[in-house]
Amino acid sequence: MRELSFEGTTVRFGTGRSALTAVDGVDLVVPQGQVVGLVGESGSGKSTLAKAAVGLAPTSGGEIRLDGVPLRSRRDRRKLQLVFQDPHASLDPRMTIGESIAEALPGRRRHAARSAEVARLLELVGLDPARARSLPSGMSGGQRQRVALARALAAEPEVVLADEITSALDVSVQGSVLNLVRDLQRELGLTILFISHNLSVVRYVSDVIAVMYLGRIVEAGPADAVLSAPKHPYTRTLLDAAPAFGVALDDPVPADDARLDTEAPSPHDPPQGCRFHRRCPIGPLTRPERTICAETDPQPGAADRPHRAACHFAAEILEVPAR
Amino acid sequence: MGREQWKAALRHPVGAVAAALLVALALLAVVAPMLWGDAAEETDPAALSQGSTSEHLLGTDALGRDILLRVLVATRYSLGLALLATAICVVIGVLLGVLPAVLGRRAGRLVTAAVNLAVAFPGLLLALFFAVIFGVGARGAVLAIGLAGAPSFARLVQTNVAAVAGRDYVAAARVAGVGRFRLIARHLLPNIGEPLVVNATVLAGGALLAFAGLSFLGLGVQPPAYDWGRLLGEGLDRIYINPAAALAPGVAVVVAGLAFTLLGESIAQVVGVRAVRRRRVPAAEPAPLVAAEPAAAAVLAADDLRVGFPAPGGGWTHPVDGVGLTVRRGETVGIVGESGSGKSLTALAVAQLVPDAAQVTAGRLEVAGVAPLGRADAEVRELLGTKVAMVFQDPMTSFNPSMRVGRQLAEVTRVHERQGKRAALARAVDRLRTVRVPAPERRAHQYPHEFSGGMRQRAMIAMGLMSTPELIIADEPTTALDVTVQRQVLRLLKDVQAETGAAVVLISHDIAVVAQLCERVVVMYAGRVVEELPVDRLGAAAHPYTRALLASVPDLATDRDRPLATIPGRPPDPSDRPEGCAFAPRCEFADDACRMRPSLSAVAADQRAACWHPRTRPLDLTLDAVTGGQA
Amino acid sequence: MTALVAARPGVANPWVAFLARRLGRLLLSLAVLVTLAFGMIHLIPGDPVRAALGVTAPLELVDARREALGLNDPLATQFVDYVRALFSGDLGISMSSGVPVSETIGQRLPATASLAIAAFVVVMLVAVPLGLGMAVLTRGGRRRGTELGFTSTSAVVAAIPEFLLAVGLVFVFGVTLGWFPVAGRGGASSYVLPVLALSLGPALLLARMVRVEALAVLDEDFVRTARAKRLPQLRVYLRHVFPNALTSTLTIGGLLLSGMIVGTVLVENVFAWPGMGMTIVSSILAKDYPVVQGIVLVYGAAVLLVNLVVDVLLAVADPRSTIREG
Ligand SMILES: Nc1ncnc2c1ncn2[C@@H]1O[C@H](COP(=O)(O)OP(=O)(O)O)[C@@H](O)[C@H]1O
Ligand code: SF4
Ligand code: SF4
Ligand SMILES: [Mg+2]
Repeated sequence: MRELSFEGTTVRFGTGRSALTAVDGVDLVVPQGQVVGLVGESGSGKSTLAKAAVGLAPTSGGEIRLDGVPLRSRRDRRKLQLVFQDPHASLDPRMTIGESIAEALPGRRRHAARSAEVARLLELVGLDPARARSLPSGMSGGQRQRVALARALAAEPEVVLADEITSALDVSVQGSVLNLVRDLQRELGLTILFISHNLSVVRYVSDVIAVMYLGRIVEAGPADAVLSAPKHPYTRTLLDAAPAFGVALDDPVPADDARLDTEAPSPHDPPQGCRFHRRCPIGPLTRPERTICAETDPQPGAADRPHRAACHFAAEILEVPAR
Repeated sequence: MGREQWKAALRHPVGAVAAALLVALALLAVVAPMLWGDAAEETDPAALSQGSTSEHLLGTDALGRDILLRVLVATRYSLGLALLATAICVVIGVLLGVLPAVLGRRAGRLVTAAVNLAVAFPGLLLALFFAVIFGVGARGAVLAIGLAGAPSFARLVQTNVAAVAGRDYVAAARVAGVGRFRLIARHLLPNIGEPLVVNATVLAGGALLAFAGLSFLGLGVQPPAYDWGRLLGEGLDRIYINPAAALAPGVAVVVAGLAFTLLGESIAQVVGVRAVRRRRVPAAEPAPLVAAEPAAAAVLAADDLRVGFPAPGGGWTHPVDGVGLTVRRGETVGIVGESGSGKSLTALAVAQLVPDAAQVTAGRLEVAGVAPLGRADAEVRELLGTKVAMVFQDPMTSFNPSMRVGRQLAEVTRVHERQGKRAALARAVDRLRTVRVPAPERRAHQYPHEFSGGMRQRAMIAMGLMSTPELIIADEPTTALDVTVQRQVLRLLKDVQAETGAAVVLISHDIAVVAQLCERVVVMYAGRVVEELPVDRLGAAAHPYTRALLASVPDLATDRDRPLATIPGRPPDPSDRPEGCAFAPRCEFADDACRMRPSLSAVAADQRAACWHPRTRPLDLTLDAVTGGQA
Repeated sequence: MTALVAARPGVANPWVAFLARRLGRLLLSLAVLVTLAFGMIHLIPGDPVRAALGVTAPLELVDARREALGLNDPLATQFVDYVRALFSGDLGISMSSGVPVSETIGQRLPATASLAIAAFVVVMLVAVPLGLGMAVLTRGGRRRGTELGFTSTSAVVAAIPEFLLAVGLVFVFGVTLGWFPVAGRGGASSYVLPVLALSLGPALLLARMVRVEALAVLDEDFVRTARAKRLPQLRVYLRHVFPNALTSTLTIGGLLLSGMIVGTVLVENVFAWPGMGMTIVSSILAKDYPVVQGIVLVYGAAVLLVNLVVDVLLAVADPRSTIREG
């Protein structure tokens, strides 16, 4: 297992009126043996970043490296394995789950060796090896997601990218898949980029948390530090909005300020200056003197700020009261 | 396509007839020329251009040859040429269709563009074009029809390939390092096989008819050879003398063409639209009892509410199976449960919006003072009017895409209060402002697709506010939204509730969301209510399912060093629920007693659970400070 | 999000961009069509003039004819000449009759066009109400018998090609009953059978499609919303269901019209209808290539025009359509 790093990774889609930069100069390191959780609202570019890493989305700038070596060929990329969101769509309905897993095994092996390996992998993800011969159609979402994990592990990856792997599952099943991810990570020392829109889920599995907004990482740091002392107002907004027992809706939070925009801006036409400024509770809409936010992009100096926050006023954010 | 589906296609009456016809035609094609080939060439100078006689059943042609025999013998040639043309068409079509997937992006696009251009022209025009080039005659016609059909078949292949190539499992195979050709062989072709087989069958029918057309025009088979089209053309000239000479080959062409086409279509139906499988609608269940006396304090009162659908194997299945639910005026009640537990159907049944096939029964059902069961649709519409407002899960699909948002809102008052256009639109703008849609005048003139998800959900709430509803039912209103937007929509619902005094029923799979907004929580499992409790007693939930649900979902306070609690197994299928307690197979406390169905009974003040062994130990959750819905 | 895109200032009117793009495609298609029509005569194996005049024709005659047709020039010159002549409305001269092709087409076009248009109108008038009515009657699995009757009858009739239908109609209404003339173009009664033959299949096909489409729309979430508003049934159908079933009706309607334009070839030959279809067939048989070329061009251009009109109508009818989202 080794370290995955994104350096200035950029992904653009479309041309002309429909052009859009889904991932915009992302710097992010997934250290060896750790779980990096990536959160952000839908459309912020999380999936695109993961797809760029495995070669399913075209990068138009920057470099993606494994242990410092740029990933170029398909062969290089096989060392990264992506697990998809919808387990009903990610398994070929005509292949037995054994065939699906075996297909991902690297190198040539004899039939017996393959079957043994498939059985071992099924056992690893908590499925009966006898199921290798069954088709995915009879399986539940949770079981399919286990198969998808087994297929990813079959390729002997250096890094696993998990894109919203629990959001298509029933709540009663989600927990067992999260437990599995945690156990596998501990047992095998996996390096994982764990993507979810759900902060609570990310928090549960991650060592490091990175927050994405409109194609950029706006804050990244150790999970506890990011959650207890967020440096970017957007992280704070996410924390405040997460539904939790014991927090009433009418306890006002800074982001409820009626002067702020309520929705994300169009990714086709991101705002000037700080991309968050029309929704920022401590930005120019609530503090008119902060014209810098609407004029100067805070991204360039981010590396020098705490948690690499893309915010001119990163130091100012209050700690979140303990819940 | 599985053997099962072929069998199903043959069980379909149309499919069976078509298949039988094809078998008969194939037999005829083999034996007819051997038996009657020579007789069909024999000229009878004594009987030129005759009508039907005992000797020549369908009469004779200009040279005195027997029409019936010629029609029978022509089977082989007609079918053979049509199949040959079909084969050409399929081969070229598949090649052209798969090519873009094999070639690079740019070359692929070129092929696609060429095919799209060719598809714009009707097949017959292409066939005429090619017939000119390849010359008049059977060979030219086979090539012409094969080539003319190829573009549309190629397009079909391309569409199917593109659809499959976009699926996650193909992406997954690529990530796993599967090469391009193996990808096509193992993942693409097998998964587009079904539609292609179906369409090739239909195509064969089309080729047969097209061939008859060309031969009829004199551009196909040339004398002395003959096929059905040729016979038809010759017969038409003498239709006043001997109609059979034109009708017999015509009937042959139609029957053979139909056999192919209908077989293809009935396969397609069986494969594609499973619902087409005929289901006998079972005898309706005993008529529902109509409510006795209205309960003034409740805006919603339901007892033993059941929603049934005709089951595939006969009888009924009940996704909602005996729900009791009471909502007082101005109360906010949350319904939680996993997907498939019957939450949405319960809501739809209450609002009288279940799909056509469903049947709703209840011991008693009263909504906003109206007992809707057993009344005609129009009467229910009249009585309920605008008393119940709905907010649905998917704001993307819940608005009419071809109508401006303002008019969709205005429609409510125009219909129910007979307001003028102007006044109704003004109110719509006002309500959009109430739900804090920015620039409401401009927004009212936009189409739904110009709204973002959160904005649409606000507009949906505004639609409910066009009059004064007594009950607002919101079915997963925030599931499709981001957390920050979710918070705003929930707060909006709360404000609306406070201002209008309407009761709110909030349905969600997320118990934390429900806890934030509601005073009371109703937990559903497998079509029934398993627990009902005030939100501040969630920490003392008594039903094992409620407790497991609370423990298995991580929140921002979950201990990260301990595994999450899990619930083994999965919820039962509505058609296959265990007797007794439906949760028993997944319950760690299940015992023999649980083979009987437990009914809801009080475990504390205001708290009822349907469990033989209700838990009493408080849950180890950070729930002490639950205040949601209290203010 | 999209709202902001649509409202974004400084972007040229999307309609202009759309129309420009669409017209560009039409021109490209026309260019391809002209090239193919030109190329047709050169793709024919052997010498087309020799083939047309027969093996017995004297060599001088063949050479003179080749010269007259310009077939002895280099290919590029021929092509330029051909295109130039096209622009001045000159489609060449018939090899068999010596009459200018444009004159022949001018005579024959009205008969074909009136037939195709009449048939199209009938198709639309029958199919849309029939399809919608059937959808409403059979929604949610009601009236299984009606549904089965409609789907199987329409499937069978729609699968019968127009020329066979024509033969059947001639037999029943012309020969047996003698109600309508069976050949030639004359008064209104002469239109009955050809139009019927041409429109019956497409009408039932379209009705099937409209029904399926309307049933799909009936299942949409926004129809449930309309019902939640407690709107009268008729309003639900007319305001919420029908407009949204229109898109595919238009698409298929366009395809059918293209098909019917060319379908006239067969029907004209059954009813001895003096249109382009009769002419193209006799010209192919007589190897009168300039006439064939000219008529193929006219049919092709008509089809391309229909496609253009349909695309523009689609863009107008559907507010989500590509033109606004670019
Ligand atoms: N293939 C594509 N073509 C055009 N736009 C795309 C494509 N894939 C994603 N996008 C756009 O890129 C942005 C980021 O999307 P995505 O990576 O899926 O975000 P997330 O995973 O955070 O929800 C979105 O605006 C999305 O619409
Ligand atoms: S830079 Fe300004 S607007 Fe942006 S997040 Fe920081 S304070 Fe808010
Ligand atoms: S009734 Fe029995 S099986 Fe059902 S929840 Fe209670 S203890 Fe478990
Ligand atoms: Mg995503």
